[in-house]
Amino acid sequence: MSVQDILAAENELTHMLGAQQAVVLSTRVRLARNLSGFPFPGWAKPAQRKEIANRCIDAFSKFPRFRKAHVFKMGDLPDMERAVLVERHLVSKELAAGKSGAAVISRDQTCSVMINEEDHIRLQVVKAGWHLRGTWNIAEQLDEALGASLGLAFSDRLGFLTACPTNVGTGLRASAMVHLPGLCLAGHIEKVSRALNQDGLAVRGWLGEGTEAAGNIFQISNQQTLGLSEDAIMKHLGTWIKSLVEQEWNARRKLAAEEGPRFVDRIARSLGVLRSAYLLSSAESMNMLSHLRMACDMGCLPEANRHIIDRLMIEGQPAHVQARRGEELDSDGRDMRRAASIREALVSFPEVGPPTP
Amino acid sequence: MAGGDVKPAPASPCQVTNSAFANVRMSQPLQCSVCDAVATVHLTQITQGKVHKVHYCEACANKGGAGDAAVFQLADAVSAATTAPTLVCPTCHFSDADFRRSGRLGCPDCWPVFLEALDGLLMKVQHQVQHIGRAPSGALALGQIRHRLQLAQTEIAKAIAAEDYEVAARLRDEIAQLSAQLPAE
Repeated sequence: MSVQDILAAENELTHMLGAQQAVVLSTRVRLARNLSGFPFPGWAKPAQRKEIANRCIDAFSKFPRFRKAHVFKMGDLPDMERAVLVERHLVSKELAAGKSGAAVISRDQTCSVMINEEDHIRLQVVKAGWHLRGTWNIAEQLDEALGASLGLAFSDRLGFLTACPTNVGTGLRASAMVHLPGLCLAGHIEKVSRALNQDGLAVRGWLGEGTEAAGNIFQISNQQTLGLSEDAIMKHLGTWIKSLVEQEWNARRKLAAEEGPRFVDRIARSLGVLRSAYLLSSAESMNMLSHLRMACDMGCLPEANRHIIDRLMIEGQPAHVQARRGEELDSDGRDMRRAASIREALVSFPEVGPPTP
Repeated sequence: MAGGDVKPAPASPCQVTNSAFANVRMSQPLQCSVCDAVATVHLTQITQGKVHKVHYCEACANKGGAGDAAVFQLADAVSAATTAPTLVCPTCHFSDADFRRSGRLGCPDCWPVFLEALDGLLMKVQHQVQHIGRAPSGALALGQIRHRLQLAQTEIAKAIAAEDYEVAARLRDEIAQLSAQLPAE
């Protein structure tokens, strides 16, 4: 069992097996759960963490959705493979940094569980495009099965008990990964981000907490987990995402109308550089790929090409570039490999045209 | 900061451009005392010769309004919840001092022990202190039932005032059915 299997497998996010959408790249639901009768991972002794990991891995392995799942113990994985899992959002930086954590990842990479991160169990369900109900339904089923097979820490007043007060209650973090080049180019992103913050939603970069918004991609999630039902949390997020999608489209249309040929020129130049550059850094390629993704949404490039951009964004991350190559590479080496993969993938792209009205 | 620009938490640039293994090799930056994020706002408070350091991410600092009095109230809530040296969880021996250091609790049994001390902090980060969501499989979602009961009681009062007896009768049945699920007080 190796991370290479994860890289090689086709999945929704990289190969458009599911519905792809403009603006919303993916929807994610995360549940924090803990076993009763055990200290939280940060306070547990190594033997207790081992026992917790065994019980959780055992429980999840029996669920049909985790049939033949990948099981990774962080202590056994080389740095590069852990970094790949982080870049895929299958485990957090925190889990990857420790030795006692484990991850159980379903074959289709839709469902994943982090064990012994901040909480005993962090269950995640992710789908391409905007599918909050669909992801929630899967998470709820798994949570039902989990409650039936393991004793979970729960109180009537505080709900699911977690290590940190920011997760107690539902333990639910619902989020959408959104691509907002229009709002970024128009200079509205800070205003929008402030409005979201004030209404209880967190705005983070592409790789989650503490990362910058490479490629104009942001993760929007609920902050409050206690005193709201799961339904209310998801409705609140849903209302904002719908509004955000509208605002993004308005910004794009306005930009295209105001800039005219310069709007198309920006996209064409990005395609030109990506198709011929010999060295491409992660940040530069992400920002240019962002232009191409917007072009696919707007008819400047065929919509059917969008999934290629999504795959290049994921596979262009540093650990991915090296893991695919099978060796450690220095910065120039990575930039060379990244540029080569992107050149190859974009060969078949047609010339950029004007946006369809 | 209040009313200022809210930017996504600043990245360490290496996550995007430099070493591929920055994510797993770099030393962990200071974490926000409230959530997991990287702390970018650092407060040092000296009261009665004791130094209290509190770290916030930009989002939590903004929520408390860093730079104005409110954030010091948040800092107070953290300190107040944690400076008293008397609270120790009988199950796992986790103390308030440990909470001040880590911002996390020791075990599920810590919650009732620290709840009173954490109440202010919990109100600040969650705005609510009663769970109304799911319960584990097999357990009754009492919080959810109480919440629905409360809603039905508000609505029945409105329905009676509006002389909408059809709706009131339906709500009366719902209230009876919900009340029957609650354990006797």
